[in-house]
Amino acid sequence: MVILQNIINGLLIGGLYASVALGFSLVWGVMNVINLAHGAFIMVGAYVTFWIYYFFKFDPFVTIPFSMAFTFILGYLIQKYLINLVVKAQVFMVFILTFGIEIFLMNISNLICTADFRSVNPRYAGSGISLGGVLIPYIRLAICFIALFLTYLLNLFLNKTKTGNAIKAASLDKEAAQLVGVHIGRIYTMTFALSAAFAGGAGSLIAMMVAISPYMGGIYTFKAALIACLGGLGSIPGVVAGGLVVGMAETMGSHFISPGYKEFIGFVLLVFILILRPEGIMGKKFFAEVKH
Amino acid sequence: MMIRHWKWIILGIALIFLITAPFFLSGYWVRLLTSIFMFAVMAESWNILAGFCGYPSFGNVVFFGLGAYTTCILMVKLHQSFWVGAIAGAILCAIYAIVLGLPILRLKGHYFAVATLGLSEATKELVTNLDKITNGSEGISLPIIPGDVKVIYAAFYYGMFGIMIVTILFTYWMSKRRLGYAFQAIRADEEAALVTGINTTWYKTIAWSVSAFFTGLAGGVYAYWTAFINPEGVFDVAITVKMLIMTFLGGPGTVIGPIIGAFIFEFLSEVVWSTFVNIHAAFLGVLIVLVVIFMPGGFMKLMKGKLSLSYLLANIRENRI
Repeated sequence: MVILQNIINGLLIGGLYASVALGFSLVWGVMNVINLAHGAFIMVGAYVTFWIYYFFKFDPFVTIPFSMAFTFILGYLIQKYLINLVVKAQVFMVFILTFGIEIFLMNISNLICTADFRSVNPRYAGSGISLGGVLIPYIRLAICFIALFLTYLLNLFLNKTKTGNAIKAASLDKEAAQLVGVHIGRIYTMTFALSAAFAGGAGSLIAMMVAISPYMGGIYTFKAALIACLGGLGSIPGVVAGGLVVGMAETMGSHFISPGYKEFIGFVLLVFILILRPEGIMGKKFFAEVKH
Repeated sequence: MMIRHWKWIILGIALIFLITAPFFLSGYWVRLLTSIFMFAVMAESWNILAGFCGYPSFGNVVFFGLGAYTTCILMVKLHQSFWVGAIAGAILCAIYAIVLGLPILRLKGHYFAVATLGLSEATKELVTNLDKITNGSEGISLPIIPGDVKVIYAAFYYGMFGIMIVTILFTYWMSKRRLGYAFQAIRADEEAALVTGINTTWYKTIAWSVSAFFTGLAGGVYAYWTAFINPEGVFDVAITVKMLIMTFLGGPGTVIGPIIGAFIFEFLSEVVWSTFVNIHAAFLGVLIVLVVIFMPGGFMKLMKGKLSLSYLLANIRENRI
């Protein structure tokens, strides 16, 4: 029974991880940028949920569109007025730039929100269903479903809309996309804003599960990098697979070895996957080509 | 000709100042300079692999931590002298880099970066969990060195200074040899380098192990200097990021660039720290953003041209989309 419980826990957390890595993978796949500020967007989304819940007593699930809208605008401005100015410089300058943005966002939140741990506790937080000895909290189940639904929405957007197709085209071949009339600058801005929005949504979901603080983001940036590499850059089904693998590996690792080795397993997994299959589980070659 | 002349004079004055500094500067400045030397060593070592070979590692802090831990464990648990500990730590780091470098250095670009990041985090978790040997997250304390504090700080000052000079001289020597040319060939075009008969994997591994050796040495001295280490402190990713920022500030792939970067960055963060106590980190973030946007080539490039508003704006015009 304990095993079954662990499998369920792993799947539930894996769904959430998929939404955490979604935007990160998209930005990496399309723009070839490792966005260190990704965790900071998750943190901002979590705080938007917290403050709306705190002041207006909205149900935390209702706050998700608000935090997504807020981080969308934030991401849009950052890409348009900062990152787009240096995209043609050395690849790693952009990396340092996102690091600067991360420090800034973290510390501004620290000033505004203070470093206290905060949590969102709706009425129904404790209730759940018990299926033959396996306990499934309603809120975890809902979080997992919404995370997967968000992932599905992004997939739909990329495949069915004109902008989505333009983003995919830009990730396949920048020059060819420009030739057929795609404005790369605008596409980059859109991609980054979307990525930030989905990070914000994931942040809202995380706020309902664990206590939040301005410095919570770093670990999620790592997890996002791990999942993006596992799944294959820019591939949405890959992100879901990667999220589930990481979620399962973590819960199984803490069950069979020791909880202290939870993160260790994730990182060892990352290094091995990179050495053995750099294009990820579901990545295709063109998604992951490194050009420099 | 005149410019060449000035460079040497400035270098000489700087050297004399740094050699005599502990005699007239206060303890605060001696400590600050010691930590600047330490970061200069690490930025320069990072530059050997990243700047010369074009392989930016995001896990180099792993050698700092390993060096520090090896030194501490040898001194506290096995009662060896500091010298044995520091040298053993540095050699262990070099071996670690060779063993892991052979598979990891086959990766390129971002993949290499993320793999090294994973490597350093995995090592940190391992050190935290092996609490029988390492005391886990509690950390290890070293015995306090008896004697006059001023003399001890001066000793560490000269120790770090010495390591920095050795690292610079080694990098300079290397950059003028076959080794350095091979590194630069790998950076320019790895396949072409392979075709001309350079064993690229082996050369990259050498570069990483040299880089690991010096970083580990700095870690060992750091452990003895602060007399307390824990996994969170010595395996901090922020240290890797600092090496990176310092190198890019100064100019990657040059001998003296990372050293200048280390001095500028540490002084700036110290000034920002003491003037804007509450928002120093946010301010540091803004500073990084401004430097990246206006001077993506680093300070070495700036020194070659003239500093002017149009130079800064030209950078934006060149790199924006």
